[in-house]
Amino acid sequence: MIHLNRRQLLTGAAALTGAGLLAGCSPSSTPSGAETLQFWHLLSGGDGVTMSGLLDKVNASQDAFHVRPTVLAWGTPYYTKLAIAGAGGRAPDVAIMHATRVGGYAPGGLLDTWDIDRLASLGVDESTFSAPIWDKGKIGDKRFSVALDAHPFVLMFNTDICDKAGVLDSDGNLPPISSPDEFVEVMQAITGASESHGLSYGYLGDGSQMWRLFYTLYTQHGAEMEFPQEGAPVIDDDAAVASLTFMRSLLDGKIAAPQADYQAAIAEFATGKSGVLLTGVWELRTVQAAGFPFNAAVIPTMYGTPASYADSHTFVLPHQAQPNEHKRELTYQFVADLLKNSFDWATAGHIPAYLPVTQSPEYADLMPQANYAVAADQVRYDPPAWFTGSGSEFHSEFGATAQPVLLSGDDPGAAVKKFRDYVTRQLSKPNPADPKGVWKA
Amino acid sequence: MSATTAPIRVSTGGLQKGERLISWAMLTPFLIAFVLFLVWPILHGFYLSFTDQSLTGAGGDWVGIANYLEALTDPVMWGSMGNTLWFTLLSTVPLVIVALVMAVLVDRGLPGQWLWRLSFFTPYLLASTVISQIWVWIFNPQIGAANALLAKFGIAPIAWLQNPDTNMIAIVIATVWWTVGFNFLLYLAALQNIPAQQYEAAAIDGAGGWRQFWSITLPQLGPITALIVMLQILASLKLFDQAYQMLGGVSSDTTRSIIQYIYETGFVGYRFGYSAAISYVFFALIIIVGLIQALVTRRKGQ
Repeated sequence: MIHLNRRQLLTGAAALTGAGLLAGCSPSSTPSGAETLQFWHLLSGGDGVTMSGLLDKVNASQDAFHVRPTVLAWGTPYYTKLAIAGAGGRAPDVAIMHATRVGGYAPGGLLDTWDIDRLASLGVDESTFSAPIWDKGKIGDKRFSVALDAHPFVLMFNTDICDKAGVLDSDGNLPPISSPDEFVEVMQAITGASESHGLSYGYLGDGSQMWRLFYTLYTQHGAEMEFPQEGAPVIDDDAAVASLTFMRSLLDGKIAAPQADYQAAIAEFATGKSGVLLTGVWELRTVQAAGFPFNAAVIPTMYGTPASYADSHTFVLPHQAQPNEHKRELTYQFVADLLKNSFDWATAGHIPAYLPVTQSPEYADLMPQANYAVAADQVRYDPPAWFTGSGSEFHSEFGATAQPVLLSGDDPGAAVKKFRDYVTRQLSKPNPADPKGVWKA
Repeated sequence: MSATTAPIRVSTGGLQKGERLISWAMLTPFLIAFVLFLVWPILHGFYLSFTDQSLTGAGGDWVGIANYLEALTDPVMWGSMGNTLWFTLLSTVPLVIVALVMAVLVDRGLPGQWLWRLSFFTPYLLASTVISQIWVWIFNPQIGAANALLAKFGIAPIAWLQNPDTNMIAIVIATVWWTVGFNFLLYLAALQNIPAQQYEAAAIDGAGGWRQFWSITLPQLGPITALIVMLQILASLKLFDQAYQMLGGVSSDTTRSIIQYIYETGFVGYRFGYSAAISYVFFALIIIVGLIQALVTRRKGQ
């Protein structure tokens, strides 16, 4: 008995009704004989333009494959669709995920593992990544993701305003800052030279934005968070309260606006009304477009331990029920090609993960990107758990607890307790990707 | 238009055999769609609520009533349920009263009726995404029109959507502005059905405007009011899109609706089975509300 699945049936039907007609619909840029690789990503705006350029380059450089991107909206829509595609066994050949989201996908079998030897034969191995970024791609001893970049939370400053405030050194950098008090002093000086506030930080209604600054400050205490499944969360209450209290103290209406959302803060800085902006590196192009001289740096180490909140865009192999070995081979080729060409990715602000790129002389000349490249060695990702990561509910839940502190001066201690309760509740629930808890990396 | 009229068959109960066949044949497409897209999903969803099915394809094992037990002890579920009921109360009252006032004002001889009808009803035609964006701007603490207005009275800026004390009020205001036009139209149509003779007779008897309103207009509007209240309660219980969009991703303990929690649990947290269980708890609540409504109106009818 002949057993056809739906795809074979459709293919057969297409052949009968005139395959020539259908072939005529494929993009003319596809060289004949090239395999089409389906590539899903969530990069829009400036990032999307940069990625398109990179893909055009990679596509033009060889005849073996043609990468066809599908761009989906950032956050929940993307991750929901990727999960369903994987669960249905009809996943794209390769996809971009945030490194912090991989842990929630791997146990469910939604991702296939990368073959480390095959990657190494293409020049992609442990020696070509900084340790924290390379290690983040592993779960247990299996490799589920290969990082394209790190995108930390940093500080950008208008050098005209900071110069007027007299805080810059002869190289145009901010002075060394090693405590919250010193940070406040410098910000007050900059405030004196600014039209509105010294510092722009938008957070209203944006849990991720609150989390990025909070986790930078928190991890600078030398503390991390641990969320063991079905266990009790490890959270350093003192460090958390100190970080929230400090964030609140900056929003005094002088140094920073007490009620600003993300867009308002960007606008304030981009129109030259404030001296400093706390933001992710992905806003670099926006600030460049504003047209005034500026510089960027990692957020100063105020509590002893150098640390920067960050996430990474990483390549993953969504699970395919019947992978085509030839396409897999080409997918490895494509990822290696893109990593080696990721210098252009740096122009969007991100720190390329592939060290031969960031260690090149060209990158050293790339300003201000080179000034914060050090962040790649001190990145702090979200605490690993199935419910954490970029664009997750965890971020918005954190925002719901932190926002009343920042906005109305509610008790930071109570907020930390509420946050702990939320995490405890999440940990007591089964991991949806592994409800029985049987998965081992 | 042709003035010829086809002979109308008055049903005498019972169709011929051929007619019955034809009627079934005509109903079949609808029945298939009904079973495929309504009955089957409802039954399948009910089955899922007894499993640990994940959106990621994992799980799917029978867990009995574990999901229901978890739901009944889940503080976030009850909080969301409470928010939904609170919103229903806060929004239904103004949505009925404001619609009535607007309809009476327009009905009582305001010139240019079409203009009022159009302007009161237009917001209802807009998509929730548009409404949300408009009101996010209005409620923006720094540049929004709401705070600009308050500033004229010397009131300090309020973070409408971010402050847990005001965000539900803000959503109610936006919702009333958005949907009141529908109730307004229903009331207006009902008002125009009240015979003018009743008002004339009342006027002859010496009844003034208020007397006429209390003794003629309001009682005549009784049935339509019962309908509007019921439709409004059902509509308000479905609170989700405008609140979700206006809050822009930060879950708020004071505005998270039960539908939002179902969405978050299933599509963000991937716990499909548990999400299905919550939706059946909510389904039960709607049935209870519907039964109460039916009881109340039946008693009134008697």
